[in-house]
Amino acid sequence: MIDPKTLPKPRGGVPSDLLAPDRDVVITHEDIDRAHDRELVWETRAKRGFSSRARLLWLLIGPGILVMLGENDGPSMLSYAATGARFGIGFFLPFVVLTFLMACVVQEMTVRLGAATHRGHAELIFDRFGPFWGWFSMVDLMVGNFLTLVTEFIAIRAGLGYFGVPPFVSVLAAWLVLFGALMAHRYWTWERVTMVAALFNLVFIPVALLSHPHFGAIGSALITWKPLPGGITRDTVLILLADIGATVTPWMLFFQQSAIADKGLTTHDIRFGRIDTVLGAALAALAALATIVATAPLFAHGMAAGNFEAAEFAQALRPFVGSWGAALFALGMFEAGMVAAVTISTSSAYAFGEVAHRPHSLNLPFQQGKSFYLVLVLEAAAAAGLVLIPGIPLVYIVLLVNVIAVLAMPPALLFLYLLVNDHEIMGDLVSPLWANVLALGVVVVLIAAGLLFGVSVIDPHALALFGGK
Amino acid sequence: MNPQSGITEATRQDQDLASIVAALEPDQLASAKERRHCPRRSLTVVEKCLFWFLRIYLVFMFGVVIYQIWHGAR
Repeated sequence: MIDPKTLPKPRGGVPSDLLAPDRDVVITHEDIDRAHDRELVWETRAKRGFSSRARLLWLLIGPGILVMLGENDGPSMLSYAATGARFGIGFFLPFVVLTFLMACVVQEMTVRLGAATHRGHAELIFDRFGPFWGWFSMVDLMVGNFLTLVTEFIAIRAGLGYFGVPPFVSVLAAWLVLFGALMAHRYWTWERVTMVAALFNLVFIPVALLSHPHFGAIGSALITWKPLPGGITRDTVLILLADIGATVTPWMLFFQQSAIADKGLTTHDIRFGRIDTVLGAALAALAALATIVATAPLFAHGMAAGNFEAAEFAQALRPFVGSWGAALFALGMFEAGMVAAVTISTSSAYAFGEVAHRPHSLNLPFQQGKSFYLVLVLEAAAAAGLVLIPGIPLVYIVLLVNVIAVLAMPPALLFLYLLVNDHEIMGDLVSPLWANVLALGVVVVLIAAGLLFGVSVIDPHALALFGGK
Repeated sequence: MNPQSGITEATRQDQDLASIVAALEPDQLASAKERRHCPRRSLTVVEKCLFWFLRIYLVFMFGVVIYQIWHGAR
């Protein structure tokens, strides 16, 4: 077993790089921590029995659960809440399940790509396609990430606002939590702490149960995809797009691949990476469905919830789920924003480090990963600050962030598709035909949804062509 | 300083470093990743067309989003 404490400390301003015995390999602090994690994996893998398998799963899960529950963020939970309040239990329940299946298809590709190349997504795009296309994808990512981060702080502010916490205090506290999670300077610790926080996303399940749902109606909706009250209108299309954007977004590609590289997963771990992704998707789908079910009583009682923010949803739900249920709903909104703020700012920092060729790992001490940590906390600080400006149209930003995510997804998916089919970097791990068909199917669905949104905005009457009103 | 303990310390350190290298795949080392980058590939005409099509799609749809914001604000 390697004990990093037994290795020499950094000398002066020089990073703690050491020459390995063959005098050819330079070992960094990042390598030492990663090697420590990998040794545990190898030792556990060598053992037989159920408990060893379970421990191996525990060691290897993380990026998939984090990315899926991280994507159940402030705007996503707000979209699901708006879905339940506007359409009740019906078409959107199976539709949300479908979007999570799409997310699984897409994220599985990043698992293979990360494990096969040990490199982040941004780095591969720059290396393989050159800076011209690389910068396009970076701008898409950075703009999307920043806008999304703003919405996470909106959710944090609104969630804690329900308990009477002033906006400045809630936003500052959230930023300090984000900063505190980095203090361990250890990927493993950061991942476990964030994962435990992310599991709090399941708090929407007790809220749904407190709303006394009709399980027969839920089962029927999941099978029949009905009803869709009001048919296809501009509102329906907006919610449709927002729900897709609540599940598949560009930052997820960048985050999961970089996290897999940082965690040190290899091609031997792909099976567990897939389990991790599916497990994360299942948990996130449960939380999403629970949110729709929890707010469905607002639809049943004809309450208009069009422009509700998180705290208003909690207040409106109080007669149906009680004060505990409403408080849990508000806490869930806070948690959704908090975890996503951590994961999204981390994805930006990874991408920046990969493109700027600066050290980028959560295993780095602050001095060695200065630029990585600075990008992470400064981006979050800027987004947090923006939320505090009076008069900013927060509701608009929240609604449009998911829409923008859907629009930016097809170009991001094309990069991913080409990379994961690249024999030179993937070898035998290139996508099989069925995976390519599914991936292209996702691209077609996303483009079609985007175009439908365009039609609904430019000429709403044209929706009649699609059976709408 | 005891020369014997110095040798032992150096040996132990070498063993630790060797075990780090052994625990990781060669291209997992941060320095190796920094030294060796994936070679650039050239895009085919079809791929370039697809990239440009999606770029135009994105710009156009962003225009639609901005129009919706403007329309909503009115």
